[in-house]
Amino acid sequence: MRFRIYRYDPDKDRKPYWQDYEALLQPFDRMVLDALTRLKEQDDTITYRRSCREGVCGSDAMNINGRNTLACITPLRGLAEPVTLAPLPSFPVIRDLVVDMTLFFKHYHDIRPYLINADAPPERERLQSLEERERLNGLYECILCACCTSFCPSYWWNPDKYIGPAGLLQAERFIVDSRDRAAAERLAHLDDVYKLYRCRKIMNCAEVCPKGLNPARAIEHIKVQLLRRSS
Amino acid sequence: MRLLSGQRAFVLQRLSALVLLAGVAAATLRLAFGAPAGLAEFRAWAAQPLAAAVLLLLAGALFLHAWVGVRDVVLDYVHPLPLRTAVLLLVAGALVLLGGWTAVIVVTHAL
Amino acid sequence: MSSERPLFLNFARLRFPVGAVASIGHRISGVLLFLTLPFWVWALERSLRSERPFDWHIGPLARVALFLLAWAAAHHLFAGIRHLLSDVDIGSSLRASRASAWAALIGALAVGLAALVLP
Repeated sequence: MRFRIYRYDPDKDRKPYWQDYEALLQPFDRMVLDALTRLKEQDDTITYRRSCREGVCGSDAMNINGRNTLACITPLRGLAEPVTLAPLPSFPVIRDLVVDMTLFFKHYHDIRPYLINADAPPERERLQSLEERERLNGLYECILCACCTSFCPSYWWNPDKYIGPAGLLQAERFIVDSRDRAAAERLAHLDDVYKLYRCRKIMNCAEVCPKGLNPARAIEHIKVQLLRRSS
Repeated sequence: MRLLSGQRAFVLQRLSALVLLAGVAAATLRLAFGAPAGLAEFRAWAAQPLAAAVLLLLAGALFLHAWVGVRDVVLDYVHPLPLRTAVLLLVAGALVLLGGWTAVIVVTHAL
Repeated sequence: MSSERPLFLNFARLRFPVGAVASIGHRISGVLLFLTLPFWVWALERSLRSERPFDWHIGPLARVALFLLAWAAAHHLFAGIRHLLSDVDIGSSLRASRASAWAALIGALAVGLAALVLP
């Protein structure tokens, strides 16, 4: 199967370039990550991140044939050749398919991704009703792979100031968590023309999320809650 | 640009959009289902003070909507602060002028 | 490693979903409508004031202009309605938003073509 891979070695190359490969696949090679493993047997300088190989760690997020997704759960069958593998768009490229996630995580930390509750901790757990727990569905499953944020045009134009779909989805996850006591502060923190309101509902995020989440809808809900607070 | 916080701009954009939508819907319905209406009927209608007020409201909504929209575009693409401020002031100025011109047209026709 | 790290942002190599196309169309049509605002205000003035307001001879250049203006107004309106609906959680699911994006794109093109051929 033919592949075209984005190559860049900061120690050797002045500019990135595309390199063509022919991968000799075994019958049990089903996913793009398997093909990458084969290609690395041919050329061990090809560099990429990978770990769980089952779509839960988010390490091998990359741009495959123009769309962001996880290499380990993207079937090879049906992919147009040459299969183009590129790093996540707009993130600084460290080497080949490995990108710098520093800014992405800086925004994640900015929204305070932890439970804020100063009440005395109970004997065992902070209880939730079934309905309260269900509000976390579609939010907690995020694996922080950055497929969404790196496919968001609003993030491309202002990566340093716009939090991005992943960060905002996580913010919503804590805002609606019934065990958290800081919803008002979280919302106030997001009420900013750059942090939140760069979102124009382009919905690229929902299109590429490998876990099927919808950050655009979460962001919409944040805006609605902000409105309710101020009225 | 502390004048328009993120939320205020968002709300104004939506409200002005609804006003404009109502105007477009009303005009479409009138043209499609009302008695045949040409330029003369429009002029007669616009000469009434109430109609002039409606037109002013629609114009106000239009220029406000345009301001929030173009401001969004500028905030996205123009990064250096002095340049961004200059562009926003220019746009605001142009919209104020156009808005003023529109108001003059509408009001003088009704008088 | 003192040099700047490169970024991958080659639009020719990215495959944009239909919602992104509708969205960039919304932005382009908005900017176009803004830039032609003087024309709209002038048209209002002519329709209210002058005796023979519009010379209805429409040459090929005017037809192209009419197409662009009609498409811009229609696309901005339809895509705008799509946004207003998703504000109240109508059509926010992925499948629904794809369908509404197609509807807006095709509807606007239809209006533009109508303006091209009808007058």
